[in-house]
Order: sequence, then C-alpha cells, then structure tokens
Amino acid sequence: MIKGSISNRMRILRFQSGEMSQAQLGQCIGVTRQTIAAIEAGKYSPSLDAAFRIAHVFNVPLDEVFQWEVKAPH
Amino acid sequence: MPYREKTAWLALLAMAVTFGPYFTMTAARFPASEPMPDLRQLGLFAVTAIVEMLILGAGHLYLRRRSTQEDRMPLDERDQAIMRRSVSSAYYVLIAGMILVGCVMPFNSNGWSIINAALFMIVAAEVVHYGVVVFSYRRQA
Repeated sequence: MIKGSISNRMRILRFQSGEMSQAQLGQCIGVTRQTIAAIEAGKYSPSLDAAFRIAHVFNVPLDEVFQWEVKAPH
Repeated sequence: MPYREKTAWLALLAMAVTFGPYFTMTAARFPASEPMPDLRQLGLFAVTAIVEMLILGAGHLYLRRRSTQEDRMPLDERDQAIMRRSVSSAYYVLIAGMILVGCVMPFNSNGWSIINAALFMIVAAEVVHYGVVVFSYRRQA
C-alpha cells in the first residue's frame, strides 16, 4: 500500500478570510472549535463531506485546502 | 478542555473513589465462601452504587451549569469517531471478562466471587471506555 500524509493550509486560508476564528469556521461546517484545531494540527483527518464544506467556506478547490504527499519508502 | 472530556474525567473519578475502595474492601474483608445472600456484601455494593450515582449526578449538574454554548453542540464527526473507538475498545474487555466469568468461573468459583468478578469486568470495561475518550481528546485524535 502506498503510504502518505495529509497536510492542510487551513490556518493560512483562515487568515486570508478576514482572520476567521476556529470557532467561526467550526460553526460554518458544523463541528467544534476543538475539531478544527485537531484538523489544523494534522491530528485528525476530516470526512470527505467536512473537507468539501471547508473548501466551500473558503471558496477554493479542495486541493488548495488539503494536500496528500507520498511518504518516501525507507 | 472539551465538555465530553470533562464528563469522561468525572466518570473515571467517580469509579476510582467508589469501586476502588469497594474492590479493595471486598478482597480484604469478605471471604469468598460466605453463604448467599451475604447482606454485608450486598450493603457495601448498594452504598457504592448510590455514592457513584450521587457523584455523577452532582458532577454533571456542576459541569452543565458551567458549560458554554459550544459545549451544548451535538456530537460532531470527530466526537462520534472517538465514541466509536472507545466503545469498541471497551467491548473487547467486556466480552473477555464475560467469557471468563460466565464460562470459566462457574467451574471453580461460586456466589459473590462470580458476582464481583462480573462487576470488576464491567468496571474495567468502563475504565477502558472513558480512558480511551480522555486519551483521544488529549492527543486531539
């Protein structure tokens, strides 16, 4: 299986959207502030549905919010 | 700290201060060979269960009064994932315990030994359940 890791640009996009707070973003997509913090920290991967909602809030395509990079095999 | 993590800490605390002493006293004071029904043992269990309910009731009331609007939000997808993970972890502990209590212990134990072993496995499963909840919220998973 190909191994990879997910990263995101949510923090940058929040600041570009008028310094939107984690709580405000959470309210827009129906999750708690803690969940937004966990997604931003890369500790939790959101569902596809939530990922699309986040991209919709920032009005950008999904791959501008989330990136997936292949981990180099050892 | 998320509201659900606080309630998980409360449940762990309630179990520690009630069932901790219960199992310690049971192991130290009550011989397993006492005839049924052992009213002292039954009384100890009743007091333990009532004290736990009181702690949980008072704790939930206190936490509810101090909760914010965000705390009252329904479970989001991450909360649900944490709940699924914690319940499935606790299930394995519970099922292993019930196999031990229901299929093995009847051959070499009786009476309160079996009842207390069943209670212990239920409490152990609950500790795993709330422990996984706390651990998951702590590491933001």
